[in-house]
Amino acid sequence: MIFIAILIGCILGAIIGINAPMVSYTYSSYLAIAIIAALDSVFGGITSVINKNFDLKIFITGFFGNAILSILLTILGEKLNVDIYLAAIVVFVGRMFTNLAIIRRYYVDKWSDKFKKFKQQEEKEEKNKEENVVES
Amino acid sequence: MTITIGIACFVLVLVMFMQFKIVNETDITSIENMRETELRTELANWKSRYDETNAQYEEVQSTIEEYKQTKESNDETEKLVDDELATVNMNLGKTDVEGEGIEITLRETDNDRITQINADDLLVIVNALKLAGAEAISINDERIINMTDIVNIDANTDNLFVRINGQRILAPYVIKAIGNQSYLESALVGKGGYVDELRTIGHDVTIEKKDKITILKYDDEITTKYIQ
Repeated sequence: MIFIAILIGCILGAIIGINAPMVSYTYSSYLAIAIIAALDSVFGGITSVINKNFDLKIFITGFFGNAILSILLTILGEKLNVDIYLAAIVVFVGRMFTNLAIIRRYYVDKWSDKFKKFKQQEEKEEKNKEENVVES
Repeated sequence: MTITIGIACFVLVLVMFMQFKIVNETDITSIENMRETELRTELANWKSRYDETNAQYEEVQSTIEEYKQTKESNDETEKLVDDELATVNMNLGKTDVEGEGIEITLRETDNDRITQINADDLLVIVNALKLAGAEAISINDERIINMTDIVNIDANTDNLFVRINGQRILAPYVIKAIGNQSYLESALVGKGGYVDELRTIGHDVTIEKKDKITILKYDDEITTKYIQ
């Protein structure tokens, strides 16, 4: 269910984004850091859905707050002549990998459980068949 | 929940694609889109290039200056050589010359008792003029140069004539000489002067001092065959 929502959102975003008007190149560095922050928030949201502690308020504030904060930090960094956006990227990408690992583990466990159950069922059926053969 | 995540994804991908477009369609090499550091490095680049070019320019300029100087010195040398050539030509008698001097005219006389003026007389006069420091001499506009011959032709007959530079010369003989007027004159007149001697014999000789005498150049080619 959640994947369908993500897929539809991505497709719609791509279609509208391609046709969207151009933004000046000057703002592209801010936009890039905002994208990283938003990406991190989305992964965090998916993780929280999996952990069943999803909170709408936290998600929305995190989504926009992180983006705006990272943009502000980048501007501040430019004013101070320090590349603060590097720190933001390190933090966000690091968290992204952690969240991705959690998501991965969850699905790997899920699928391996399913596989195990499937195998057990097969074995049971085979045993039943053998018993039937012996009885007959 | 799912709708929120969907919307978040929508916004995210929208912004992402906008960014893709910006990155794709912006020419990062154009100056307007460069970051400060890039501009700085570019500026430093251009500066060093400018310095290099400037140095080259100066080098070329100095080379040109050198060439100019060489050319000037060449011109000077050329001028010197030209001057020298002109002097040499003048000394050789290959140019028309002007200056103060005297003009001696020897006329034919009807007197049968005395011999006509011949090459020997002319030779004596020319020698006397040379001794007196004449710088240029001509007889009937035949320039006397170092290889000039003054000879009698048919000396033993009545049809005597004089040859100078291979040209037949006839009376009256006009000898022009450039030099100090009084020196030249005193070499010919006075005691022992040859003109006076000729006059006593009965020849008609006049000496004229002139402030401006033009002596024509030697017309033929001066050729050498054995001088090495």
